[in-house]
Amino acid sequence: MQRELIAGPNFSGRSAALREKLRRGETFFLGPYAEAALSGLSSTVADEIAVYARAGQAQGFAALDWAPLGSRKPATLSGGEQVLLALHCFSRSSYGAIGIDTALEQLDTRNRAAALDFLSRAERGFDVTLIDNRLERAPEGWRRQDATPTETEYACDLAGVLDELHPRAAPAISISGMDFSYKTGRAIFRGVDLELAPGTAYRLIGPNGAGKTTFFKLLVGVLEPQRGTILLASRPYRPRRDGNRAFALAAQNPDHQWCGATLAEDIARRRRALGAADSTVSPSESLLASLARKLGIRAPDQLLYELPLAARKRVSWLWPFSGAMPWLMLDEPTIGQDRDTRIGLGAIASRLCEIGYGLLVVTHDDDFATRFAHRALRIEGMTIRPE
Amino acid sequence: MTPSGGIAFALVVIGAAMITGDLVGLAAPLVLCAVFATLEVRDRAVTALAWSAGIVAPLALFLCIVWVGVVGRSPEEIAAGATGTRVAALAHVATVCTRLFLVALAIQLVLLHFACMTPLQFIRAMRAPSGLKRLLVLTLSWIDTILHAVDRSRTALITAGIIAPRLSVKNAAHGFILVQTVWLSVITIALGRLRDKWPAENTLARLDEALQAPPQPLRFADGAWLAAAIATAIVAKVA
Repeated sequence: MQRELIAGPNFSGRSAALREKLRRGETFFLGPYAEAALSGLSSTVADEIAVYARAGQAQGFAALDWAPLGSRKPATLSGGEQVLLALHCFSRSSYGAIGIDTALEQLDTRNRAAALDFLSRAERGFDVTLIDNRLERAPEGWRRQDATPTETEYACDLAGVLDELHPRAAPAISISGMDFSYKTGRAIFRGVDLELAPGTAYRLIGPNGAGKTTFFKLLVGVLEPQRGTILLASRPYRPRRDGNRAFALAAQNPDHQWCGATLAEDIARRRRALGAADSTVSPSESLLASLARKLGIRAPDQLLYELPLAARKRVSWLWPFSGAMPWLMLDEPTIGQDRDTRIGLGAIASRLCEIGYGLLVVTHDDDFATRFAHRALRIEGMTIRPE
Repeated sequence: MTPSGGIAFALVVIGAAMITGDLVGLAAPLVLCAVFATLEVRDRAVTALAWSAGIVAPLALFLCIVWVGVVGRSPEEIAAGATGTRVAALAHVATVCTRLFLVALAIQLVLLHFACMTPLQFIRAMRAPSGLKRLLVLTLSWIDTILHAVDRSRTALITAGIIAPRLSVKNAAHGFILVQTVWLSVITIALGRLRDKWPAENTLARLDEALQAPPQPLRFADGAWLAAAIATAIVAKVA
C-alpha cells in the first residue's frame, strides 16, 4: 500500500503528476467539485452508493449517516457533503487505489481529520495519491513528492491587487426573524436575527451542509426567505423583487458564477447589468483589465473553461475586488490555492475591510482565517449566532 | 407488480389511446386509468392528475384558440369540404387533448406506483437488454446534468443582476444569455467527468455491474393489469 502526497505550488504540474499515477480504469478519482467527485450517473444519493458498492465492502467510511439522505439528488448536497459521499462510495467499492485532487479542502475540520485518518490507515489495503494545499507536511507513513515550480502564464500579483482596491462605504445589514426552508420541507433557518457592520469581515462557521451557501443565496435573492426582513442601511432590502445591488459573490465552484464564455464577455454583461441600475459604481474597463492581469489572466478573450481550475478560481475574485458591490461574499476562496496565494488573499481581505467594505467569508481553512481580522458567525441549530 | 409489467401496462394504455378516434373510445382507457389509480396509486393519484393536466393545459388553450377561435371547424370537415361548426372543432381539440392527457397520466401513474424505488433500482429490475438499461441511465444522467446546469446558471445570472429572480421582461430579453451559460455549464460538467473521472474509474463498467440483476419473473398483478389493458384497447378500438 502506498500513500503519497504530491506537494508544490499552483501550476507546478501536480494534477498532471496525479493523473500519471492513476491506473486507468482501476482508480477511484475524487476531483475538487461535483463533476469530478461524483459519477454523474445517479439521480439519488442511494443510487450513487449503489453504482460503486460491492458485496463484502459493507464497512465504509461514514462521516455522515446516508440513509436519511438516500432520496436527495447528489447535486443538491453541499460541496463538503459531496466529497464525503464520494469517499463513502470509494470505501464501499472494490477499487484498490484513490486519487484525490484538492477535494479534501472542502471539508470541515472534523470531517477532514476523519477523512485523512481513513486514508492513512494501512490495514485498509489501497493506494492513495493526494494533492492538498493545506498539508504542509506529509502525514506519518506517507511519501512526499515535490512538484517543481515552473514559470507560468497564470502567475498572479496579489500584492499589486492591493493598489487597485478603492474605498467604498458598505451599508450596515440587519436581519430579523428570518426563516427559510427548501420546497422539499428541509428547514435551514428559523428566526435568524443578525447585525452585520460595515468594514468588518465575518467568517461563517458550521459543519458541511449547515446552510452557509444557502445564506449567501438568500442575500443575493436566488432564494427567498419565507419570513423575516433584511434591512440595508436601515432600508428594506428585497433582492427577489429589486435585484441584488449589494453583494458580489465569488462562488465555491468558480464555474457556478460565469455569465459568459470568456472573461471579457462575463465582465461586459455584469457591467451592463450594474450600469443599468446605477452607472456611478460600475467599475471602469481599465481597472478590470488591470485587476485581471494581476489575478493571472492576460487574455480576457480566452475561453474560461479552458483555463486551469486554479486560474479560474483566482479570476472568480475579480468582480468582488472591482468595487462593484459594497459587500463581498467569498465562498471557500482558498480551495485549490497554494500557500502564497492564500497569504496574499488574506492581506486583500484585511485591506478591503480597512477601506470600508463588508466581507462574508465561508472557509474551513483555519490557517487562512488567521490572516485577517474577523468575527466568527456560527451556523448551528438553524440559526446564525456571533461567537 | 414488477417494473416490466408496469411499463407494458403503460404502453398498452398509450396504444389504446392512440388507436381510438373519438372521445367515446377514449373513455375506456380513462376508466382503466381511474381504476388503476384507485387500486395501485391511491392518494398520490392526485399528483398524477395535476401533473398531467398541467402538461395538457397550455396545448389545450393553444388548440382552442387555433381550431375553435380561428379555424372554426374540425379537420374532418375541412377534408370533406363541409362548412363545419365550432362544436365539431371543440370535439376535435378535446379528443387530441384527452389523448395526450391519457399518455401523460398512464406514465405518471406507473412511475408513482414505483415511487418507493430509486431510478437505478427500477431500471435494474426491468427485463431489458443491458444496453437499453445503460441507455436509460445515461438519459436520466443527461437530464439531471441539464437541470443542474440550469440551476447554477440561473444562480450566477441572478447574482450578477443580469436576470431577475421572478418573471420579468428583462428575463425575456436576456433569455439567450441563460441558454448560453447553461450550455457552458453542461460543457464544464461533461469535461470534468469525461476527462478525469470516468477514464480513471471506468465508471460505465461499474454501472453495468450495478445494473446486472437476475430477471424478475412477471407476477399475477402484471398479467391481470396487462389483460385489462388489452381488453380496454379492444373496447376502445371497437367503440
